[in-house]
Amino acid sequence: MENKETDLVIKNLHKSFGKNKVLNGINFELREGERVVVLGPSGSGKSTFLRCINWMEEPTSGEIIFDGEVVTEKNVRRVRRNLGMVFQHFNLISNMTVMDNLLLAPLKLKLMKRGEAEKRAMELLKHIGLLGKANAYPASLSGGQKQRIAIIRAMMLNPEVLLFDEPTSALDPESIGDVLSLIRELADRGMTIMIVTHEMSFAKEIATRIVFIDKGRIIEEGTPKEFFENPKTPRVREFLKKVL
Amino acid sequence: MDNFFSKIGELFSTPEYIESLLHGFLLTMQVSYFAILIGIVLGTIIALVDTARPSKWMKIPKFICKLYVGIIRGTPMALQLFIMFFVIFAVKGFPSIITAIIAFGLNSAAYTAEVIRGGILSVDPGQTEAGLALGLSRFTIFMKIVAPQAIKNIIPALGNEIITVIKETAIVSMVGMYDLNMAAKDIGSGQNMASYLVPMFVAALFYLATIYLITFIVKRIEKGLRRSDLRAEE
Repeated sequence: MENKETDLVIKNLHKSFGKNKVLNGINFELREGERVVVLGPSGSGKSTFLRCINWMEEPTSGEIIFDGEVVTEKNVRRVRRNLGMVFQHFNLISNMTVMDNLLLAPLKLKLMKRGEAEKRAMELLKHIGLLGKANAYPASLSGGQKQRIAIIRAMMLNPEVLLFDEPTSALDPESIGDVLSLIRELADRGMTIMIVTHEMSFAKEIATRIVFIDKGRIIEEGTPKEFFENPKTPRVREFLKKVL
Repeated sequence: MDNFFSKIGELFSTPEYIESLLHGFLLTMQVSYFAILIGIVLGTIIALVDTARPSKWMKIPKFICKLYVGIIRGTPMALQLFIMFFVIFAVKGFPSIITAIIAFGLNSAAYTAEVIRGGILSVDPGQTEAGLALGLSRFTIFMKIVAPQAIKNIIPALGNEIITVIKETAIVSMVGMYDLNMAAKDIGSGQNMASYLVPMFVAALFYLATIYLITFIVKRIEKGLRRSDLRAEE
């Protein structure tokens, strides 16, 4: 992420599930080092937006251009290596130990040698204080432990961007703190981040930019200061009144 | 009661009876074994087609699989066996064991396909998403993530299907084949034994012992596969 110039451009993105139009023309740009927090009421399409970026959901129309290349069915796998994703429900591979979860992609994609990958996995596990869980299966871990391992699993590939889809929504309050501080640390190290969350104070603290989605459109964006202190649209004012 | 035990003694001490039973048992096992094999191979193919992502190329194969499973599950096994014997393979000299194996194999495939399909669909879609997000291919995701988890759900139901096939093959006696069931009837109707109860009781023991053994093996396999579900650490 140090030497590559990250550039994500989204043009007129639409996504429908059958007759249900979830995204109605999203235009968006993400630059290296930015930390964008996506906010919006539930059902507004913010998770779908995030999931369209790495083609977890195939866009109905519109373009996603990553590092100057239009994302298509053909190159999506290569793009995904550079767009790490962290899910609400962690999605650790349940038939593999923690270590195998971390090694899976680097070894299968032949991006690292086994020794090298194991060394990096150990370092990352040690860093989050879970080295002792290397040989444990996900079923024996707490939610917070699972999510922190899911984050370092995404980091194993050295992605240019990390996408977080409500990373703390399924956690207890104590685990939320652990997960947020790990995300904060990545942010401090200059990681480019996009995060869908309901943690308003965390959004305010970490974001370089807030994007507000309503009914499948970005209706307002700006710095956290602008957004929280001086919202421009009535919809955002109403939203903030309810959540703050 | 004395009569019952003496007849059992008589059955086990008469080589012709034992030979008949073993002969029948062997046929039952041969038909079951190959039918189950066909069922698993064909059933897996059907399940894979059925659970594949929808695309224009898969439309017709998916339709064929659905139709096949629907017809097989919607008609009696005995009727399917008759159709095989008296219509499709009604060729003089065609080995009846092959016809029976095909009939039971094609039948079992439909049920096995449903078992495997259910097992695949029971895997949390989040597991596949995790693999996709890491840039893995669909093939790798299936082999390394989905299949190993699906197998845990498939094995118990597949054990059930194997047991069903073994017992169901008893209806080959309806087309005159000499299986374990037929052997019992044959011995019972003989002049010397003159009792259906005893040979049928012994045949039941053969079936029971076989099925008990299979249940035991399936349970062992299940236990081995459940390791990663344990909450305790290794």
